Amino acid sequence: MKRMQKKILILGAGTSATMLANDLASKLHKEILNGEISVEVLAENIYHTFQPANLDVAFKGANPGDFVKSEISLLNARVEYVVDAASKISLESNKVTTVSGKEVNYDYLVIATGSVADPSLLEGLEESSLNFHTGPFNAHKIWTAINELKSGTVVISIAGVPHKCPPSPIEASFLLDEFLRRKNLRNDVKIILTTPYARPYSAEPISEVVEPRLKKKGIEIMTFFNVSRVDPQAKKVYSMEGDDVSYDLLIAIPPHRGAKAVIDSGIGGKYGWVPTERDTLQIKGFENAFAMGDATDIPVSKSGVVAHLESEVVSENIIALLRNTGKLVAYNGRINCPMEVGNRHGLFVSATYTSQTQKQTPSILKYVMKKAFGIAYWVVLSGKLNIIMSLYFGKTHYPKVEGEQQAPVS
Amino acid sequence: MDEHKVIDSRGSFCPGPLTDLYAAYKESKVGDVIDLLATDPAAKSDIEAWCKKSGNELVEAKEEQGYTRIIVRINTAPR
Ligand SMILES: Cc1cc2nc3c(=O)[nH]c(=O)nc-3n(C[C@H](O)[C@H](O)[C@H](O)COP(=O)(O)OP(=O)(O)OC[C@H]3O[C@@H](n4cnc5c(N)ncnc54)[C@H](O)[C@@H]3O)c2cc1C
Repeated sequence: MKRMQKKILILGAGTSATMLANDLASKLHKEILNGEISVEVLAENIYHTFQPANLDVAFKGANPGDFVKSEISLLNARVEYVVDAASKISLESNKVTTVSGKEVNYDYLVIATGSVADPSLLEGLEESSLNFHTGPFNAHKIWTAINELKSGTVVISIAGVPHKCPPSPIEASFLLDEFLRRKNLRNDVKIILTTPYARPYSAEPISEVVEPRLKKKGIEIMTFFNVSRVDPQAKKVYSMEGDDVSYDLLIAIPPHRGAKAVIDSGIGGKYGWVPTERDTLQIKGFENAFAMGDATDIPVSKSGVVAHLESEVVSENIIALLRNTGKLVAYNGRINCPMEVGNRHGLFVSATYTSQTQKQTPSILKYVMKKAFGIAYWVVLSGKLNIIMSLYFGKTHYPKVEGEQQAPVS
Repeated sequence: MDEHKVIDSRGSFCPGPLTDLYAAYKESKVGDVIDLLATDPAAKSDIEAWCKKSGNELVEAKEEQGYTRIIVRINTAPR
């Protein structure tokens, strides 16, 4: 008798979802071809955006359309791709309802719905600020605004944490400084970066590298500044700690939340960060459901690198469950966020669950590597560069030892 | 009634503990007490500096088994 087909349902069509779908399609190609397994991606729209380029769009005038491709061109043909966003996820009944009203039953679920930068979460922010976190076309509005700038104060404000790409506010500050210098306007335009943290960059070893460079460029920093509201009329940003700052142009890193479908499904509380086991990436309490990338509540940076590395863990674990091998793997929490620090220099914020970021010297080579990763992105999604990527990252997951608690960081 | 919240930030490096504290502070009122459990060695000094800045009080930082319990009293409501 023919066995019932098993469905692996992936919600989302961004970095982690695309990598996972392609990896599963390749590793399970026999099972897919003989009808034992199907891998289905449920997407919100037909596009896939390379988000890191938003910085180049905002501060270097890159063309926003150059960083958007159609998702179908990025997916292995063995993946079933359906544009019909999830609206309700029922983990208890292994079922997802879509916006068109369809009910999709699954055997394995992966929530890869990312994070949403949402200016409406803070009073006054939406009407007062521009940002480079809500897509390349919104990032382009920054390019227009800075080209019209003649004098005044630009405030770059981290208006909520956690947010995607922790280095991006620092990078934006350096890139804006460079732009203004090129236009000979740097003496007429003040740049202020506000951050909720104790120092310009949250991790001290990196901050020690970045702070002198920011000072040298005359970029002012306001620390312990948790934005509580913006007054668009007075053009002032206020903090929970009682400070305020006036701006002529406000570039905000908006507060982030999980996908609406996740919040509406009562998963992950008010902000919809999916409660996820940080080693196996299983959704807490569910053996057959996983979350990865920005969508999780795991306290590692919301970044493409994490999305990529986590997709490998989820792929291995789904295959282990399907084949009943009992050999789950555990993610080691590796992060590797590139950061541009001006003058075409870069560094990588690298750490794991058990090892902290180290101090390092910025270099042109690291800047070039960041740019190279950008160019390679579309190919990386296909899985064709897996060998090179795993040589670069080394081992980032290990066999899960049953009953073992994650080693606490000491 | 004053609330006593316990937040577990163990196993998360900077900025995890501060991010967790901010989220709790946003929802707090004067008189509340927040116990933050942290393994990040930078957490205590960062939270101490934040308390000074925001008009709150670091009551105590107790070493417990493999982590620090950082007790913060909210003396100033978020503005
Ligand atoms: C300005 C900027 C700079 C960055 N720079 C870097 C960098 O240098 N290095 C780096 O590693 N990372 C960087 N990132 C972060 C990186 O882009 C993200 O962390 C990464 O894309 C997260 O991958 P993901 O798969 O979790 O989510 P995403 O890639 O964001 O994908 C989420 C997907 O879910 C879909 N979705 C949402 N809701 C639903 C629903 N209900 N149903 C179906 N689908 C849904 C979305 O449409 C989308 O396709 C940067 C981000 C920004 C904004």
